[in-house]
Amino acid sequence: MKSLKNIFRLIGLYFKVNLASAMEYRGSFLLQAFGMALSNGSFVFFWWIAFQQIDGTIGGYDFRDVMFIWAVTSSAYGVSNILFANMNAITRLIVSGELDTFLVQPKDTLINLLCARTTLSAWGDLAYGFILMIFTHGSDAGAWGMFLIAIVIGGLLMTAVCVSAHTLTFYFGDASLVGGMAMEFMINFCIYPEGIYRGFVRVIMLSVIPTSFIVHIPLKLARNFHPGWMAALVAVSALYCCLAYRFFYKGLRRYESGNLLITRL
Amino acid sequence: MNAIYVENLSKVYRTRIKEEGLQASFKALVKPVYKEVQAVNDISFTVEQGEILAFIGPNGAGKSTTIKMLTGILHPTSGRVSVLGLDPVRQRRELSYRIGTVFGQKSQLWFHLPPIDSFVLLGAIYDVDKKTLNKRIAELTELFELGELLQTPVRKLSLGQRIRCEVAASLLHEPDILFLDEPTIGLDVVIKQSIRQLILRMNRERGTTIFLTSHDTGDVERICKRAIIIDQGRIILDQPVKRLKYDYLNRKIIAVRFEFPQHLEVPEGVKLEKSTDISARLSVDTRICSIDGVMRWLIAQGGVADITVEDPPMEEVIASIFQQKEGKSQ
Amino acid sequence: MKAVGKYITVLRISLQNAFVYRSNVLGGFVFYIMFMFVFFNLWRAIYKSGEVAGYSLVQMVWYLCMTELIMFGCRTGVFFQMNEDVKSGSIAYQLNRPYHYVLYQFFNALGGMIFNLLLYGLMAIVIGMIMVGPIPGFSFSTLPYSLISIVLGMCINFFFLMALGLTAFRLEDNTAFYLIYQKLVFMLGMFIPVEFLPGWLQTITRYLPFSYMTWAPARLIVAFSWELFWAVVPVQLLWLTVSFVLTMGMYRYGVAGIQAHGG
Repeated sequence: MKSLKNIFRLIGLYFKVNLASAMEYRGSFLLQAFGMALSNGSFVFFWWIAFQQIDGTIGGYDFRDVMFIWAVTSSAYGVSNILFANMNAITRLIVSGELDTFLVQPKDTLINLLCARTTLSAWGDLAYGFILMIFTHGSDAGAWGMFLIAIVIGGLLMTAVCVSAHTLTFYFGDASLVGGMAMEFMINFCIYPEGIYRGFVRVIMLSVIPTSFIVHIPLKLARNFHPGWMAALVAVSALYCCLAYRFFYKGLRRYESGNLLITRL
Repeated sequence: MNAIYVENLSKVYRTRIKEEGLQASFKALVKPVYKEVQAVNDISFTVEQGEILAFIGPNGAGKSTTIKMLTGILHPTSGRVSVLGLDPVRQRRELSYRIGTVFGQKSQLWFHLPPIDSFVLLGAIYDVDKKTLNKRIAELTELFELGELLQTPVRKLSLGQRIRCEVAASLLHEPDILFLDEPTIGLDVVIKQSIRQLILRMNRERGTTIFLTSHDTGDVERICKRAIIIDQGRIILDQPVKRLKYDYLNRKIIAVRFEFPQHLEVPEGVKLEKSTDISARLSVDTRICSIDGVMRWLIAQGGVADITVEDPPMEEVIASIFQQKEGKSQ
Repeated sequence: MKAVGKYITVLRISLQNAFVYRSNVLGGFVFYIMFMFVFFNLWRAIYKSGEVAGYSLVQMVWYLCMTELIMFGCRTGVFFQMNEDVKSGSIAYQLNRPYHYVLYQFFNALGGMIFNLLLYGLMAIVIGMIMVGPIPGFSFSTLPYSLISIVLGMCINFFFLMALGLTAFRLEDNTAFYLIYQKLVFMLGMFIPVEFLPGWLQTITRYLPFSYMTWAPARLIVAFSWELFWAVVPVQLLWLTVSFVLTMGMYRYGVAGIQAHGG
């Protein structure tokens, strides 16, 4: 238990220190936040128009529903990039050998390396979700409750997907493109109603790329809370994260045996 | 207990050969062809606590591979490794609390943060309690003269300043052994000197065992008491540095300067390597003539303004060792 | 005309270059397919409850295939090229060469754009056919004319981007311009057909250039009519002229700024 406490203490410290350093780059932060607001805003614009011109639901969702999944996606993305920003750099760390620096330290290698950096602009993404929720779900306690739970779970799941994609580098060499694509795909599938897709895609969203667990199921629960589904959400998410964790360490063993395609001298 | 115990250690890298072209890629997928590289071949040595030891050899000799096996980053193919009584592979986390590392090309410091922040983070990583950490930071700051540097972001520091912080960072948790992998690579002479001095101080004042790899023989000459020469994965030599020079190079260099022009007729066993009208650099074969004799002869020439007696440069020592070993094996 | 020869050479080389790096297109293909897949599902769901005036689902999907082709497939990096040239200092060399910087950039980008138009064009056709089948009423005889509109749209986009990019000669950070521009293009024609916008916005949009890069050529593909052709193409030509003049003006303005700072 002491080591768990120490890990949390480390994460907290990383958080504090990273935040302080990121403050130096305030200027570009504002610009990136602006860009993000613009980008997200244009989608809100689209959905607003769509629901104006159409009577009824789209893919089983109304405007508020779509805003909910947008908010969750944005804030979950923010959470994972605030806490675990290095997830995008895993391939670079492996290929350059910087991974060794983390291996030699006495803390859990994966967590240590994930938390070592933060992305300042991710605060903008985090905030955006909250702002969107305020405007569209005002004082809906049920929705807010699920929102908060969803962004934590979503953040962890996004991290897990990114880590798993980058773990492929241990096996196939430079997988940074795969990592980037995995994130793009995931986000793109998170921001549209579940109902627009047919069977096969929905299976994918419940397994390989866990979009449903990030946005769609939390929305279902926000509308209609059901303890069974809630338990399933938590359980499957935990399982997914564990698998990603194990997969990384499996790949790491390969690294430590020195049997990579990449020459390490 | 020994600081480091290595017995019959070997490491074989097995990599897939990847050829160009689509056809070759397919072939490789179905029937992969492997290439085996023996990076470390059956090496054995022991290091006592408090020693300063250098692993030297050319590029690709197996130095980095060895140090990675000692620190638990790499799994050996065969043989035994024990560091501070622990197995680096199975007990890596436990071991990591007690060892420090400085890897030449990689940094433990956070690039955008001032060193003090890195120190605090590392303190948390190594579970150093706050009081001890602060005391330690104060000590190291004084020792390494980091005073004004602590608050400056690392990216704004000069290379020399950064390295000093780097070495300080590796010592925050008071490790028993400090591993340095090519710590002075790519640095200029002045910085190299300051780092060497720091390492010596650590050893003197704390009894920290120092294990360093290098292909800079200057490191060996200045810091180490003992050197292990490794080439192509095998240990060629394992001896105290003093004896290296003594055994393998029976030469001394005498540099002399005269007050007025001289023409020197060198005696047997002495070679004139360089000379001007008023100075000369002589190479003395100590098997043939004594230093004493040569110096007397020089003074007898009259008008000696300056005279120094030096050991030959380390490169020559190593090179000649290789030559001799090669000669023996042939 | 020696000058023309110069630019033709630039074009030829940039085409060759695009061909050499053709495998880079594969990554883009993956994204293109993903976008179209999502959009197809989305609009199919939308059409369950409603529709866009003047578009059947089939036309809507092909519309998006086309706008994505123009704005994603044939996207140009000219905006960031300006920034790059200024930051790296190579602008000093560029300005002293015996050709016009603006024209050089255009012909250089044109090679890539033509190449991508061919490849992504094929991809767009394949995807469209797989998802919804052929466009009803489509006729190959009108394709060349629609192509004119597509190329015009691409060129208008290019020159506006270049005009904005040239502000790098004067400004420290002009990224905000890029972001705003991209979003306007996105909202007013690329992702949302003009007919889908509320009335007041439609009117405003018709006076802006954005829809003439995306909506105009895409509409000509999905619902060609000579009436439409003669309605939009002249406007495209107008906007092309405007954007070209603007670019030239920005260039002169920017260069003056550089000279003032000592190059």
